[in-house]
Order: sequence, then structure tokens, then C-alpha cells
Amino acid sequence: MFRYSISFIFLLFCSLGYAQEKAMEVPSEEKDSLVYKTAYGLRLGADISKPILASFNGNYTGFELVADYRINKKIYIAAEIGFEEKTSVEEYSNSTSKGNYIRVGFNYNAYDNWLDMNNEIFTGVRYGLGIFDQTLNSYTPNVNSLYFPSESINASITDSGLTAHWTEFIVGIKVETLRNLFVSTSISYKIVLAVNDPENFKTLFAPGFGRIFESGTGFGFNYTISYLIPFTKK
Amino acid sequence: MILCTAILSGCEKDDFCTKDPVTPKLVLRFYDANDRDQLKKTERLSIWAAGKDTIPTYRSVALDSVAIPLNTTTIETVYHLKINDFDGNLASNETATLTIQYTPEEEFVSRSCGFRIIFNNVRFSSDTSWIQDFTPAPLTTIDHQNTAHVQIFH
Repeated sequence: MFRYSISFIFLLFCSLGYAQEKAMEVPSEEKDSLVYKTAYGLRLGADISKPILASFNGNYTGFELVADYRINKKIYIAAEIGFEEKTSVEEYSNSTSKGNYIRVGFNYNAYDNWLDMNNEIFTGVRYGLGIFDQTLNSYTPNVNSLYFPSESINASITDSGLTAHWTEFIVGIKVETLRNLFVSTSISYKIVLAVNDPENFKTLFAPGFGRIFESGTGFGFNYTISYLIPFTKK
Repeated sequence: MILCTAILSGCEKDDFCTKDPVTPKLVLRFYDANDRDQLKKTERLSIWAAGKDTIPTYRSVALDSVAIPLNTTTIETVYHLKINDFDGNLASNETATLTIQYTPEEEFVSRSCGFRIIFNNVRFSSDTSWIQDFTPAPLTTIDHQNTAHVQIFH
């Protein structure tokens, strides 16, 4: 949690620094025009929180590429593709989910930029699809009895070709730290639309969705660095 | 943002197993053999499985209902039930043997509760001793613990 707060503060400072720099420089550049143009194009990047998380957590690996394309002043088409592998260690079971996912949707920038700045406070929606395998590595029958205790059973039962469909609601911020280089952080709330469960077991983690809570909901966190390939200025 | 992060981390381990019991125990109720609708307590009842110590909660107690675990790693559990209706002297102990045979089946419950065991094709048999009669005679399934599985008449 502290790590996230520090990132957030860091982002704030970046944005402040940038704001001042731009405010001084812009009037001399475009003094004849009242219309400040901003770049339109394809923005490509990666989620750097996942490799960092993987380096601290031996039960997790993940990688995600992100892209968005600006279609008008406020709206961006956005997509993420990625891979995740996670071992869920529970009191009575140990299972591993791994697979690929894609999320597609829109971001809406609710922030009114000064001059030609290009920062965002955005909300977004996504449709997500994950295709994955889940392996039940081992389990201990919950017999709640010390008189006849149960022992851990090595199972190694894999169910392949499982799918999960979900929707996401996202809020986040994006800051242009260097020209065309953006740092973004966002959180998301996810709701399962449909998920395959292994026979006589349950999908505990779906790649792209994360941990599936009892109510069929989940949370996500992204910290991305992306680069804008500008096509045009409007 | 900080609030959301707090919510996020707070939700990590939210679902504890609140189901109790997960794996059902065998419930026995004791009735009067002469008046079969009437519950009858067992005097100085002790229960132990073959080759094991007495179950701590059932050591010389007067009860009309008991819940005892079945061995989930085998297909048979043999219980010895000792009563002493007279004076508590060792010589007047009466011991019955109740044999329970079954097919255990694993059933997934939830993330936090894991897998439970239910018992199919359950068959009971008893030697002739202080247990005069018991029901049910046919096969049954033990997948809950809400009502008695076996009525014992003595």
C-alpha cells in the first residue's frame, strides 16, 4: 500500500513540474493562436507492476501490454493483452491458474487540460476474456476432526481450456512525464459475467481478472508506462 | 486512491470458512426399547473407535444423542460403545460394537472450506448386546448433520 501511495505522490509531483514548465514555454510558441492542439495517435506500453509483483511473490508471474487510440478530445479506445500464472495457496487446497487474456473497451478523460497539456483523469469500461488452465496441485479434505485427521493428497488434476468473461470499471490517472511518454496508474472493479469451473472444484483465479471473490467480483491494479506514437495534432 | 488501495488490500483474505461442520459426523440418538418414541439417555457412555483412545467428549457421560466422526481414509469405521446402567463398577460395563461401512466421496465446498467428505452406501451392523435394535436397516447417505442418522434402541 505504501508503494502505491509513493507512486501516486511521485505522479503528482511529475504533473506539477510539467505544468509549470509548459505554462512558461507555451505562450511564446503559439502566441497567435487560442487553440492549443494535442497529439492524436497510438499509445503503446506495458504494465510494470506485474513483473515487480512477480519478483516479490514466488507464486505469481505476469506480463501485460497496453494500448490505446484516441478517437476524439475525450474518448480513447483501449485494450490490454497479457499472460498470468498464479498459485492460489489456500488452507485446504493448492491450485495454479495460468493463461492469456484480453481486455477491450473505452477510456473517457474527465480532465480539462491547460493549454496543450495532455494529462488524464479517466474512467473506463472493459470487456475481458481469459482463456486458461487450472491445476489442482494438492488438497486436504476438511474433516474438522482430530480423532481421524486427514492428510494432504497430491492430485495434479488439470482442467484445460477454461474461459472467463467479465466487465471492468476503471478509474485512473495518466501523466505525460516526458514528451509522448506517459505514466499511468489505475484501479478497477470487476464483475464476472461467466466463468468455467473445473469439475468438482472452482476457478479461484482467472488470468486478467485476478482472484475471484465469493460474490463473483474482483479488483485490479495497473501501473503502466506507455509511449505515444503521434499520428496527427488536433 | 488511498482509500481504494486500503479496500483492495483489506479484501485479500475476506472469506473464512464459516460452515460448521464441513464434513458431517455420524449422529446417533438413543431411544427406549420398550417405548420406541421416547428418548432414553445412556448411563456412563464411553465411545472409542477400534484401536484408538476414547473420544474425550464421550467419556462416561449420560446423553441421548452423540455425533462421532467417521474415518475418511478407509471404507469402514468400527466403534465400541460402552454403557454402565448399574453402579459404575468395571464388572457391570456393557460394550456394544457398531460397524459402519461406506463409500467416501470428496465434494468441493468453497475456497475457504475446501473439500468435504460425504458418505454413500452407508451400512450399519451391530453385535447383540445392550443395543437391542437400530434403524435404518437399508443403505443411506450421510451428507448432513441436522438429524440423527441412526436410532438406537436400548
